[in-house]
Amino acid sequence: MNLPPIGEMMLEFIAPFLESIAPYMPGEIFPYFFSLTLLQRALIAAILVTMVSGFLGCFLLTRNLALIGDGLAHVSFGGIAVGLVLGGIGPLWYALIFCIIAAVFIHELQSREILTGDASIAIFSTGMLALGLVVLRLEISFELPLIGLIEMSPVGITNTVEGYLYGNLYLLSPDDLDLIVFISVTSFVLLYLMRHGLLATTIDPLAAKIQGVPVRGIGLLFSILTAAVVVSMVKIIGALLVTALLVTPAATGQLVGRSFRESVIYTQLFGLSSVLLGIYLSAELDTGGGSMIALVTACMFAVIVIGQAITKLLIKPDENLN
Amino acid sequence: MQGWDRLQSIIKDSNSLECQCPLIVNNLSVKRSGELILKDINLSITQGEFVGIVGPNGSGKTTLVLTILGLLKPAAGDVKIYDQEPCSKQLHGRIAWVSQAAANLPNNVRITVRELVRLGTMKGFNLLLRNSKNAEQVNEAINLVGLQEYADTRISKLSGGQRQRAVIARAIASKAEFIVLDEPLVGIDRKSRNSLLKFLDELTHQTGTTILMVSHDIAAVRRSTHRMIYLDETIQFDGNTERFPDLDIIAELREIQPVHDSIWEAQKTTVSSDCQVCVEDE
Repeated sequence: MNLPPIGEMMLEFIAPFLESIAPYMPGEIFPYFFSLTLLQRALIAAILVTMVSGFLGCFLLTRNLALIGDGLAHVSFGGIAVGLVLGGIGPLWYALIFCIIAAVFIHELQSREILTGDASIAIFSTGMLALGLVVLRLEISFELPLIGLIEMSPVGITNTVEGYLYGNLYLLSPDDLDLIVFISVTSFVLLYLMRHGLLATTIDPLAAKIQGVPVRGIGLLFSILTAAVVVSMVKIIGALLVTALLVTPAATGQLVGRSFRESVIYTQLFGLSSVLLGIYLSAELDTGGGSMIALVTACMFAVIVIGQAITKLLIKPDENLN
Repeated sequence: MQGWDRLQSIIKDSNSLECQCPLIVNNLSVKRSGELILKDINLSITQGEFVGIVGPNGSGKTTLVLTILGLLKPAAGDVKIYDQEPCSKQLHGRIAWVSQAAANLPNNVRITVRELVRLGTMKGFNLLLRNSKNAEQVNEAINLVGLQEYADTRISKLSGGQRQRAVIARAIASKAEFIVLDEPLVGIDRKSRNSLLKFLDELTHQTGTTILMVSHDIAAVRRSTHRMIYLDETIQFDGNTERFPDLDIIAELREIQPVHDSIWEAQKTTVSSDCQVCVEDE
């Protein structure tokens, strides 16, 4: 399935600016992210995904749904596995369909109080991941009946699968960028438009309903957006590390922000600096991009928490302490 | 004072256009999980009344409120708010609810009082909640409840009473003419309770807002509202607060048997005024 080439259009628009600042970038390899088309694509996708996931994460934290990203990432991996086997449309489209179905079902199970939030996430994440793994294994067994092990399977498919598990910035195709740009921009705009409705339904859904806020509609749309954003993140940071960009910058932003608005602004600040620093370190140290970004976000959170604790001790010493 | 004048004029304008009766309930019966909770409720409230609904646990107070607001469907009878069906579009912004959980707002939601009150200005799914248009309305509501010093403080840092006021400010910011409060006195200290009741009374007198307050605290309701309703499956009492029966009559209504007959007989003569204090202190 092909989208209009919005990703490539954005790349053409931004590339001259990136090329102009490339000489000022530190390191040996990092400047190539600003001058080589393949890496420019990765940089733009990473920045867009970080912005939208940070914004989404602020709402996920307020709704106590921090782990839904992790659950949906498992589901997306199941979808990718099925997509790799069945072919046709790209694997990310399969992941998108799988994730949206799971997100809608999880939302319905939660809102109808059939299952608690965590239980429904656990059931769908493991069930759909298992489906993907079984389909993948059947395909490999069919091709190599005497061996039948993923580790011994054709190199192409395992590399691709690993790319989705841990993220691989260098594997981003123009079609992937189109999908990421489409999901990121649409989700960001929709989240911005319904931000008050989301807050109102989080704080007191019944009061919001009386005000005429479509609580159910907002909940469903939010679930679908969460699913879409998770899928857009899988190729950048990897299915195993999605939560790092979805939750950690938002949690760090909440520590610093004095209001919800400030928290959102700080989240963007922490998210973008983490992703740039993560890409820089991974490029220079030759480590995985996704894992380095996740590590930087976690370190940033730790630094803020420890910094705040020390500041509290120095500025406002506990009166009960001698 | 400008805020009061503005609110009064807005409410007067809207009153002149619409029916004066915020609430009419006819022969209402409600079932929950197959069990009849409310039976043959007839009730009508006029604009500007401060009405308290009291009753024992499980008497159907919250069920009645949820049905009035259209969140539960009646088994029989009907409810009209300003001559409209509950939850109809015409009522968006005219009615506001302060829920039982108001004082227990989630701490993980890092929003300030101003951000919370601004949510009250939403009507339906207006995507672009223009801050410039609503800023004055929000500030007025915050000033009215006396939280101007805490406008930019996170709600998680407020006391129970202050949180309750913040949630009421949200209801006021919606310019609602009819505010329904479900157990607003739970979880707040004595001082906050008294100032909250005084504030609600002033709100009805100065802006003509109709208030329907559900509470288990009979003494507090008796000392603040204009009219009291005693509910226990059906309406057992409905009238001016001054005419509300004393506690031994309520005990008779609820068929509470005295445990120690001798003590009961000795206290029976002096029970009326003292018991109000006992209930309040509970």
